[in-house]
Amino acid sequence: MSDSLLDIQNLSLSFQGLTETVDVLDNINLSISRGERVALVGESGSGKSVIARIILGLLQSQKGAIVKGSVRFRGIELEAATGNQIESLRGREISMIFQDPTSSMNPVYKIGTIFHEILNRGTHNISKKLALIKASKLLEEVSITEFKRVLESYPFQLSGGMNQRVMIALALANKPALLIADEPGTALDVTVQAQTLKLMHNLVKKNNTAVLFISHNLGVVHQFADRVYVIYKGRIVESGSTSSIFENTKHPYTKALMNAVPKITSKSFFDASDDSSLFKQPAFHHKDREIGQ
Amino acid sequence: MSKPLLSIKNVSKSFSLGDYEIQALQQVSLDLNKGECLAIVGESGSGKSTLANIIMGIYPQSDGEISFKGSTLPLKRLLSHRKDIQFVQQNPLSSINPSRSIGESLRLPLDVHRIGHANERNNRVSELLTEVGLTSNYSKRYPSTMSGGQLQRVAIARALACAPELVVLDEPTSSLDVLVQSRVLSLLQKLRKKRSLSFLFVTHDLAVVRNIADYVAVFKEGKLVELNGVNELFSKPVHSYTKRLLSAIPVISEDEIQLLNQIKEKE
Repeated sequence: MSDSLLDIQNLSLSFQGLTETVDVLDNINLSISRGERVALVGESGSGKSVIARIILGLLQSQKGAIVKGSVRFRGIELEAATGNQIESLRGREISMIFQDPTSSMNPVYKIGTIFHEILNRGTHNISKKLALIKASKLLEEVSITEFKRVLESYPFQLSGGMNQRVMIALALANKPALLIADEPGTALDVTVQAQTLKLMHNLVKKNNTAVLFISHNLGVVHQFADRVYVIYKGRIVESGSTSSIFENTKHPYTKALMNAVPKITSKSFFDASDDSSLFKQPAFHHKDREIGQ
Repeated sequence: MSKPLLSIKNVSKSFSLGDYEIQALQQVSLDLNKGECLAIVGESGSGKSTLANIIMGIYPQSDGEISFKGSTLPLKRLLSHRKDIQFVQQNPLSSINPSRSIGESLRLPLDVHRIGHANERNNRVSELLTEVGLTSNYSKRYPSTMSGGQLQRVAIARALACAPELVVLDEPTSSLDVLVQSRVLSLLQKLRKKRSLSFLFVTHDLAVVRNIADYVAVFKEGKLVELNGVNELFSKPVHSYTKRLLSAIPVISEDEIQLLNQIKEKE
């Protein structure tokens, strides 16, 4: 498929411990087309965040991590790419938003300096002055009007919601082809989360950025993603377009996830059974494939 | 009319930060009757946790009065108050002592409040663990070997150990993922019915509120902006801020979208 931006095939990951190996990912197949928004949903410990780290090449160098399979970005096999090649992708072609915005920015640098560093990756030797002008525009796009104050602040001086918007602006600064968002709203409260997600949604649509959206909450994913992968204990258990996943849910685990989102039209909570044998049923892949929009 | 279990009258709280003061709570008045669940909702910084901490006596209010079962709560809580009001905090990893085994953590409130005979307390610990859906084997384990959802159950068991009348829950599930959250919440609901507990439930998630609360108090910037029954709040919210909170709920089903649209149309 020529349109595919990111193509993960038969990806497995295990960690070599002192006495045993722990299997974390089992035969993951996942692909993202240009401009497509894809969600990866699963509970904590299901392996969703390690997939993001493998794409960025952050895990392969770790001692004890055994990565098998292929990850291709624009047809380039990332496993075979040199350190320099991967380094030049990060922040320019692929960028990432982490769960906790405040701790993912260096606290000893002002926001303005962080913007300069990022923009310098895209345009070499960009002057500080030009970088700050560009940064102000980027901040305006994420609805930060008082960009002068923000650029002069340190990350810990800003609120979580503000920092997350700064992170979005930073991640999109070099107009990357792929944005990986690892639980971008979880550290924020509901109102701020809704605002930031809406903002991110509009921006990626405008720039035609592909997104891998990692979350544990199907409710958050619903309005954002074109396609959804559901992952359980390192295995994709269901995949398909957002509408087919939500309207024609097949796998018991996806059903449980769906029921677990508290609803404003119900009067009691779903008591998910602890019996996980049901969730080990074979995976179901919906046939429809919506390529981009 | 019978007296409310917990009565908060004109409570204010300000923190001084060097040169300027932060008004965290302004003239808040609320009542909570026995057996009811009152939810306190608002975004971060709205003062909802401040109120929970004041009720628990972690720091005093700057102004106003809090009474419990008709008598004013002194700053230094009496042993009986501490027994009757229990607290479950947001992050169980930091609210449970990492150097004590789960059994020791659960036995401590029983020892402090001299509940039951000393030899029977270990049995009581096992009972508490089964009550929250864990097994008695957990009593020998340490917090670092357990997941967030299991630990939050331990925190709930510890709060229930001395048979309180009121449980203050400060975002008990916001650090858990959805599947675990729904399990913990349905456990809380069952326990509340079984032991006829009163809950003061602090959260930012209105969808959770809908399923557990009887009354909802909406906080914004330290002020109480709306106090309403849960059905009324979800059919005809009064304050514009409440409406904004409602529209921020992530919804997945058709009937939920319909409900939100109905609320919008009424404006």
